[in-house]
Amino acid sequence: MDWQRLQTIDRRWIYLVIWLVVMVPLIVPFPIKPKASPPVERLFNYIDTMPPDKALVVSFDYSPSTQPELQPMTVALLRHAFARGTRVGVLALDVTGLGLAEDALRQVTAEFNAHALTHEDSIINGEDYVFWGWSTPAITVMLGMGERITKVFPVDYYGQKTESLAITKYIKNYDDIGILVTVAASAIPRSWINLAQTQFGVRLGCGVTAVSAADFYPYLNSGQFTGMLAGMKGAAEYEQLVADKLKESGRDWRLRGKGTEAMSSQTAAHLAIMAFIILGNIAFFATRRRRK
Amino acid sequence: MSISTDPWVWIAAILTLGIFSFLYKENPFYRFAEHLYVGIANGYAITFYWHRVLVPTLVDPVSHGQKLWLIIVAIIGALYFTRFIPKVSWLVRIPIAIVLGYSTGASIPRAIDAELIRQAKATIITRASFANWQAGIWAVIILLGVIATVSYFFFSAEQKGALRRLSYAGIIFIMIGFGASFGYTVMARISLFIGRLQFLLSDWLGLIK
Amino acid sequence: MRRRLPLFLVFIMGLFGAFAFFVPHPPVRQIDEVLRNDVIRIIGALSLVLGVGSIIRHHFIKIQRKAEHWPYSYITIIALVVSAVIGLFGGIDPNRPGILPTQVGSFSFHIQTIYVNMMVPLAATMFSLLAFFMASAAYRAFRCRNLEATLLLLAAFILMLGAVPFGRMISRHLPAFAEWILAVPNTASKRGILFGVELGVFATSLKIILGIERGWLGGGD
Repeated sequence: MDWQRLQTIDRRWIYLVIWLVVMVPLIVPFPIKPKASPPVERLFNYIDTMPPDKALVVSFDYSPSTQPELQPMTVALLRHAFARGTRVGVLALDVTGLGLAEDALRQVTAEFNAHALTHEDSIINGEDYVFWGWSTPAITVMLGMGERITKVFPVDYYGQKTESLAITKYIKNYDDIGILVTVAASAIPRSWINLAQTQFGVRLGCGVTAVSAADFYPYLNSGQFTGMLAGMKGAAEYEQLVADKLKESGRDWRLRGKGTEAMSSQTAAHLAIMAFIILGNIAFFATRRRRK
Repeated sequence: MSISTDPWVWIAAILTLGIFSFLYKENPFYRFAEHLYVGIANGYAITFYWHRVLVPTLVDPVSHGQKLWLIIVAIIGALYFTRFIPKVSWLVRIPIAIVLGYSTGASIPRAIDAELIRQAKATIITRASFANWQAGIWAVIILLGVIATVSYFFFSAEQKGALRRLSYAGIIFIMIGFGASFGYTVMARISLFIGRLQFLLSDWLGLIK
Repeated sequence: MRRRLPLFLVFIMGLFGAFAFFVPHPPVRQIDEVLRNDVIRIIGALSLVLGVGSIIRHHFIKIQRKAEHWPYSYITIIALVVSAVIGLFGGIDPNRPGILPTQVGSFSFHIQTIYVNMMVPLAATMFSLLAFFMASAAYRAFRCRNLEATLLLLAAFILMLGAVPFGRMISRHLPAFAEWILAVPNTASKRGILFGVELGVFATSLKIILGIERGWLGGGD
């Protein structure tokens, strides 16, 4: 075998292999049921057992560049909260994440309202959830929410005065929030710990890209994060937990879980990358031995 | 297979393929898409900075005769424009100083508490660490690992003898940590590509059930 | 004056920002609140001028000088202006249109539609290219040249297998082992690095407030 030639193969062949290895399992998936890891379970269990008067707040702190990894997480979190009847507050600290927040809320409220029979079953903006929108800079939002959220967001994303919304009397500041989950692709979760948790003691969870997940384990270990969703795998695990919960409560709606859908391709791609690394090393050592 | 008839889905698919065409080689289609993205992203940002920050915080109160002192704040903020006027470009330092100073000062005590004290507390072994024997052993390993890692970056003394051995143990921990990060990075990058293929195969071509 | 005034401002604001954390008295809290919600917010929002202005200036200079790929600069500027006009005058909420109509028949060109169908695909796809570059780098560059590199790759392999449900098929303990690697040795190393980084950040922050670190002032007098 020409190991030297193998080492210098045109990279576009590698691209083609990756394309096929990811595409084929999406079209012809093999059945996979993700099993939740401890950080995901901890987050799910906390939200699932939160007192009914406490709200879940989801902060969309990411941009469209990491949407494939993080959007499934936020959708799963919203489904979980609405399935429990938990009040939800949504904000974004990245202006380019605003549209993704709007998209996620529209998708999940449509899913629930399609099955709603009464007003109580329906998910209503201003009553069951509030979309505060975005503001800048982050320090203003994080510290201001500890005092009075309506001062940070005098109007919501849709231009409604937040003081006039029915939900506002239940979510005034961090004291009314059971857990705030920051979904981010950067170091913003650290800022939430430094600014919001240190001064106001708000409980935090996070959903992060897999790139940065390993860096946040010290905060999981110290208890500063209650739980963590790491990348698409974390999203798939959470989706599975939420789907099981919906099924238990008689709402087996078979909602699309993009994270779960991706696991076949993820598996195939991981094996391909490992094969590339092994092959590259074999070629490297074979060539080196021949030179000696 | 049910191909979408929504023109916007087609626009999104064409732009997606335009960016992917870079994988073959750089081409005008890719450059067009790249420049388009920069323009739209900035236009989007301008929209929300105006509608959701400047209007409710500045324009509305001042136009109703309230908080007129905000005009002075707006003038200070407008000093950002002097960046593009060479003769008075030093004035841009004023709004930068205000925001930078406050953010830096506000984060110091909070970061010390959250990043140093809380993390140090979590590293120290107490009786509670031995709630069960496994957790206790892992806590000891974490403590030793943290000390070893920090010693690797300790340059105030020559790295020899016991410090050198400890430092080498630190390298082992660091390599395992970086390996963990790399493994997850592979997952992250592949996930981003999976997301785009999900759009092309599902929303555009209708191949995914 | 050109350097002294900004340095004085950063010192005063830094001192107040730190001081306000410790003082519970209402007058200080009220000043802090006004500073954050009004002053810092408006000034912070207007900082967008720097970013957008720099991009526009960069592309205008490219067009003026007919630098490489200069015709594409028109694309950026036109896209910026058109999307800004649609957003500023067309409104944010599709149910509450602004003074500019954003729909022709059933075809909508509202800012949210542009965002979902143009900005998201472009941004997401651009970052998804990294998957290919990473695969190529993994094949060409990751070599087990020594014990440390081998350890790194072993840890990576365990994580990659443990992260996907397939890992359970190889060994039911593999996912738990991968989780252990993250929760114990990885936590130890990342925490050690965190201590170093945070001490550095703390030192730099103090230097900025005290005027020792002046890089943020930029060049010139």
